[in-house]
Amino acid sequence: IGCDRSKNLVDICGEKHFQAFVCDALSVPIRSGSCDACISIAVIHHFSTAERRVATIRELARLLRPGGSALIYVWAMEQEYKNQKSKYLKEKNGNKNKDKEMNTGAAQRPLSDQGPENSSQDSAWSDQLLNDSKDENCGAKPAADFRLPVHTNRTSFHSQDLLVPWHLKGGTKKKEESLDTELVSGSFKESQELSPVFHRYYHVFCEGELEAVCRSLDCVRVQKSYYDQGNWCVILEKL
Amino acid sequence: MKLLTHNLLSSHVPGLRPGGGFPLRIELGHPSELPPEPIPNFEADEEFLRRVHHVLLEVEVLEGSLQCPDSGRRFPISKGVPNLLLTEDDA
Repeated sequence: IGCDRSKNLVDICGEKHFQAFVCDALSVPIRSGSCDACISIAVIHHFSTAERRVATIRELARLLRPGGSALIYVWAMEQEYKNQKSKYLKEKNGNKNKDKEMNTGAAQRPLSDQGPENSSQDSAWSDQLLNDSKDENCGAKPAADFRLPVHTNRTSFHSQDLLVPWHLKGGTKKKEESLDTELVSGSFKESQELSPVFHRYYHVFCEGELEAVCRSLDCVRVQKSYYDQGNWCVILEKL
Repeated sequence: MKLLTHNLLSSHVPGLRPGGGFPLRIELGHPSELPPEPIPNFEADEEFLRRVHHVLLEVEVLEGSLQCPDSGRRFPISKGVPNLLLTEDDA
């Protein structure tokens, strides 16, 4: 059974005859202890405070029966790890390994469009304030700066808290590929098609951060912790 | 929404007593084909068993609502998808 905050996305699941419902990850309308296993893929990194992020993990643990397992994937700050670039970074400059959702003309244009002339966009800052103070800082921006940078797609992250552009192309919704972290190009030269750009909040995780958050809960045990294609992942066991 | 899915769902309206959100009452546009209580000696009643099997495994609620037993709050089901989002008013 699946659930998501977006009614439109869940409706697509319904059309495909999957069992799914609409809810908020902070309050999942499922009986406690009723699940053998849960997965949370590319969800927790959308919550804007450390408090809310740990609350989603606590909620996930509540659903599990003792001995049940949870799998969590979140985006990693480190998109290049052990000298290997993630697929998210590799598929820059037209070097596409897969043609998954890159099937519109605009998205297939080489990302060299995002050159120096667009650097004003690259360093665009949003005046949105962050609510929480940064306790951990894996070498990115100084904690005192509470503006959220707008990310340039398919480049490394320079901040743990940021807005990532997402293009809604005419008619076809582009979904984020959770495990592969693929996104539609954020090239700003696509404006002739007047496709709306949405800025989606992300808190990308540093090495060890997800694991540390899970260890702070005494209802679960971290069974496994690893890196997978630009994601930090944990497998938890409900105690 | 299948009955098996319904079995896992529970109302999460704030302030309910433990267990007060389960089970959600299914409200359909048309009356159910089953009686409200199992009839005596239902195990032997082929016709009844056939109808129970049908409801458990072959019926999906497409349009209707789920009602929280304690609070009375209704959650809509549309195109087979229940929407259990709480609003600001619920909190």
